[in-house]
Amino acid sequence: MKDFNLYEYDKLFSKEIQISYKGPFDKHILTIIGNYIKTIIGDKQTSIKLFKIFIELAQNISYYSSSQSKANDNSGIGILAIREADNKFYLHSGNQVKAEDVFPILDKCEIINSLDREGLREYKRQQRNLPRGEKGGAHIGLIQVALTSANPLDIKVTPINDEYSFFSVTVVVNKDID
Amino acid sequence: MENLIIKGSHGDFFMPDINFNAESGILEISGESYLEDTAKFYAPILKWLREYIKIAHGQIIINIKLTYFNTSSSRSILDILYIIKDFEDNKGDVIVNWFYNGEDTEIEEEVEDFMIDTGLKINLIKFDEDEM
Repeated sequence: MKDFNLYEYDKLFSKEIQISYKGPFDKHILTIIGNYIKTIIGDKQTSIKLFKIFIELAQNISYYSSSQSKANDNSGIGILAIREADNKFYLHSGNQVKAEDVFPILDKCEIINSLDREGLREYKRQQRNLPRGEKGGAHIGLIQVALTSANPLDIKVTPINDEYSFFSVTVVVNKDID
Repeated sequence: MENLIIKGSHGDFFMPDINFNAESGILEISGESYLEDTAKFYAPILKWLREYIKIAHGQIIINIKLTYFNTSSSRSILDILYIIKDFEDNKGDVIVNWFYNGEDTEIEEEVEDFMIDTGLKINLIKFDEDEM
């Protein structure tokens, strides 16, 4: 990109996008975006759901992205956008992962999407009782995200090269129609 | 035994207030719990509790008033409850109260899941935010 024009970049974003962020997911960023979601978006119960989903997805990026910021305590680098359309909120998150980690993640996501609510709760309890540090820590976050959103996880994996892929999760939150 | 008091942080790192009173047996966790290294934060709390149940006699009342906790914190909360359950299994008298403010629609399921895992009875008590 020789002549970077911010306007051209800005045009890439649709009006539906409420928040977008790309960069290191350190604790300060999590706090700022988290507080913004809690206070600005939708009704109280919807904003709490979005907040809970945001924290889990953002912490997954922070801990598990294969691209890290040396200047920020090695916080994972990733991208996040919150979109509002069709009476729903869409939370998109993405980060780079090592090619070898793709299959285990996809495997867990498939399990998550195959389970009903009771099954998800049981799966979460089972994973939560595993010793800390055991691989799978990230999946509890994804199980919780599926529970909170009450919708399936939409997963996309795009190979970048032989070594890395781009992993993205889209989560839908229906606005409460009470 | 010394009381365990940790002032939570509500700035960049949302960690709960801990107020464990060794004399009265009233243990309180309140605020929010997410961000930072949750395992590191809870390690001294679990250590204190393991020591405490060895010398505690009488009743332990644990009051949990967390308006939000992430999944990583929920592992540590589960560890706390397992220790409390140990005390109960050794003929200790235990009351577990979980206070919630009604904004989080999933809290009943969360508490039920803690009860299934630990076998403890947890009282779910609704409170107004103003009382926090």
